[in-house]
Amino acid sequence: MIQFLHWANYGFFYYYLLCNVIYLVLVIVAIKATTLHQLKLRSLRLKWYGESPLVPPISVLIPAHNEEKSIGTAVRNALDLNYPSLEVIIVNDGSQDGTLEALQREFHLRRVNAVYVSQLPCSPVRGLYRSDADQRLLVLDKEGGGSKADAVNAGLNAVNSPYVCVVDADSILEHDSLLRIMVPVLADPERVVAVGGIVRVINGSHVAEGRLEQVRLPRKGLEVIQVVEYLRAFLMGREAWAQFNMLVIISGAFGLFRTSLVRAVGGYRAEAIGEDLDLIVRLHRHLLDQRAAYRISFVPDPVCWTEVPSDLRSLARQRARWHQGLLDVLRRNEDMLFRPRYGRIGWLALPYQWVFEFLAPVIELGGIATIILAACLGALDPQFFLEFLMFGYVFATVISIGCVLQEEITYRRYNDWQDVLRLVSYCFLEHFPYRQLHMVWRLQGAWQYLRGDLVWKSPKRQGLASARAR
Amino acid sequence: MASAFSKLWTHGPAAIVVEVIIGAMVADGLLLGFILLRRAYRKRYFAKRDGRVYELRKKWEALISGEIPYDTWRRSAFDRRIVEEIALDAIEAASSEEFTRLLAFLRATGLIEKRIFEARKHHGWRRLRALVALGRTRAPEGIPALAEALRDPDEETRHAALRGLGRVGLPEAGEEILTWLGENGLRVSPLPLQNALIHCCRTRPRMLLPYLQYADRPMREVLARVFGEIATDALQAEALALACDELPELRAAAARALSHADRQGPALHALSELAQDGVWFVRLRAVVALGEIDGAAATSPLLGALRDPNRLVRMRAAEGLATRTADMAAIFAEVVATQDRYALHAYLTAIENTGLRERLEEELLERRARGAAGAEHLLAVLRSERVTAEPGAPGPAHEPVTASRS
Repeated sequence: MIQFLHWANYGFFYYYLLCNVIYLVLVIVAIKATTLHQLKLRSLRLKWYGESPLVPPISVLIPAHNEEKSIGTAVRNALDLNYPSLEVIIVNDGSQDGTLEALQREFHLRRVNAVYVSQLPCSPVRGLYRSDADQRLLVLDKEGGGSKADAVNAGLNAVNSPYVCVVDADSILEHDSLLRIMVPVLADPERVVAVGGIVRVINGSHVAEGRLEQVRLPRKGLEVIQVVEYLRAFLMGREAWAQFNMLVIISGAFGLFRTSLVRAVGGYRAEAIGEDLDLIVRLHRHLLDQRAAYRISFVPDPVCWTEVPSDLRSLARQRARWHQGLLDVLRRNEDMLFRPRYGRIGWLALPYQWVFEFLAPVIELGGIATIILAACLGALDPQFFLEFLMFGYVFATVISIGCVLQEEITYRRYNDWQDVLRLVSYCFLEHFPYRQLHMVWRLQGAWQYLRGDLVWKSPKRQGLASARAR
Repeated sequence: MASAFSKLWTHGPAAIVVEVIIGAMVADGLLLGFILLRRAYRKRYFAKRDGRVYELRKKWEALISGEIPYDTWRRSAFDRRIVEEIALDAIEAASSEEFTRLLAFLRATGLIEKRIFEARKHHGWRRLRALVALGRTRAPEGIPALAEALRDPDEETRHAALRGLGRVGLPEAGEEILTWLGENGLRVSPLPLQNALIHCCRTRPRMLLPYLQYADRPMREVLARVFGEIATDALQAEALALACDELPELRAAAARALSHADRQGPALHALSELAQDGVWFVRLRAVVALGEIDGAAATSPLLGALRDPNRLVRMRAAEGLATRTADMAAIFAEVVATQDRYALHAYLTAIENTGLRERLEEELLERRARGAAGAEHLLAVLRSERVTAEPGAPGPAHEPVTASRS
């Protein structure tokens, strides 16, 4: 037993060490990539792209289910985006609140008998509506399909543009986000098939008329911790993985795709729990099967602001759900692991997801349990134990502060001194006790998935219009 | 010399952990310190810059007229950058008279000379910025330096040079780009190249023609897109020749080019032919061009395109037909006569989108009141949105296509 605990603790130590070293490498790669991107932008006049008659049209697709509070702001925001050729498609996915009525009221919708071809499978469409206020707006009213994927597929059937940008209804985009997210596509339209943008936390900020007026940190600590998490996930993780063309997730809240390719892979999988992750892995599979030269990119400056859960219960549900989605996708794509055909995705990206994402809660919580057990049995050197804890904690804060630094030297969305100091201070709180709690939620998610308990309860929402009040 | 941590090794292997902790704590402190110092510096810098921008803007007229001697600000890099930025921003929105004045100012102050020097001698990001700034001046003397940068092995530099030349927007800049393309082939992504050529060749589109004829396939396709955008009526014969090209992208460009031409006679005939091309995007461009032509001559090919197997082509054809508001009832009768439900849906969608459905219904009601033959049937079709044969009418002119449509 003692011997087992001894080896388990060493195993945990080296796992943790390796994990942090990987993070360190990722943060260095990400800082370098972001800095280069910033320099490139200085010589790239986005405004000139906006004036070009040749930029490809984009359809902004917003699935909405019971989004009465947010939908008006989200649509105004989408119609206000700076892009020369744009259509906005809203899919009302069987909402039981007044989502459709709110749209009708605000955008003067009228029912039209438009051509609708159900190329991708989805629940029946009840009606199509055009806006008299803005010709670019199309609203699809459909029966509830029980998933975001179903709603997006319905919208994809109505898309007429070569590129589609999927945005959540509780999110808003910055004014020039579409121009910015198109930068990799315009530079290499043959190879770039999908691009992810950065998602940030809107809680605490001030939104007016569909525009973000003032960026502030949220008041609640739980929300601030999520700000740090999002910065780390996007500015470090996605940016760095994208550099190696190994990005396996583009956030469902904001992503741009080549329409024909999404249709070619059958759209979003309606049964998928994490439909965004699922789509990207299927795109990789499809393109690698065809031996196509392609890129799935990430751009750190087109910003999408989204609402995050503000209470523990909703956050726990969301994170458990994300972990279920991860497990679902990993299990479905087990056959991609270590197969030469799938190259770096099969050899690096997916194994990383297995070991350092999916198994992380099992290993970390297991490691903590064995350490405590070893301490109780007197098999643990207390000095080593304390030092090890310190090591993990301080190293992780370096990574988090590194991401705040990256934000600071590049995008600087938080202008207030107090906000920056709070952000840095929460980097110290994030790794204890939030991280451990997060691991428990993820473990719960995995357990629920294995038991088949997959009922999704959507988190409590305040709505974009009330962002300031919070 | 012994390491600063050598004493820690008396603790055994745990020493490495202690080293990492200390290192990480130092890193935390450094990162935090860097963030705070950088903030403080930037705050000061921007406050100073904003103040200076305000001051310089206040005396802008005196500055560009030379009333304030150039040397008072030119020697300070800080002021020079601000003045240049204000001038370049002003150029973007200037009238031709104002542009001439600003260009003379940039020349007299040596700012253009400086940018030319930087575009030639600097490397990396500083060179890229110089190239773009040089383009923003729209000064013809910047063209040789920009053309040199086109031959740089670095792709970013080539792109910056292209953007710069595109901004200059003169045919001479276009000549440089085309010569470079002829020498090196397509070594940049298409969009910046096309944008640059659209700006530079707009006043002299004919300069594209030799390259369109003799270049290799990918370059011909890229140049054809440009030609399609900027061709004028004077180039109708060349556009007609392109309409017979074997490459679909060129035929599509021809359709686009013909939409700028006098769209009667041969142009209309060519567009009608292209509307039946084997490649969908050629048909699409032709149909869009036909939709922009007023008068009855384009109605017939648009009605044909309404039965196209491609959804986008049908929709564009319907949009083109929906703009013909003078004879809506007659067009609707033709649509119904196709006996094709896809055609009917496309047309109804188009008139719904343009808010003309009620008007069509009123016209049909009026026809019925006048006792016009078939009006009752057309009203029934409009209301039911279903294709039904008129009682006593012969069968459809074409077989209704209900399957294998995209």
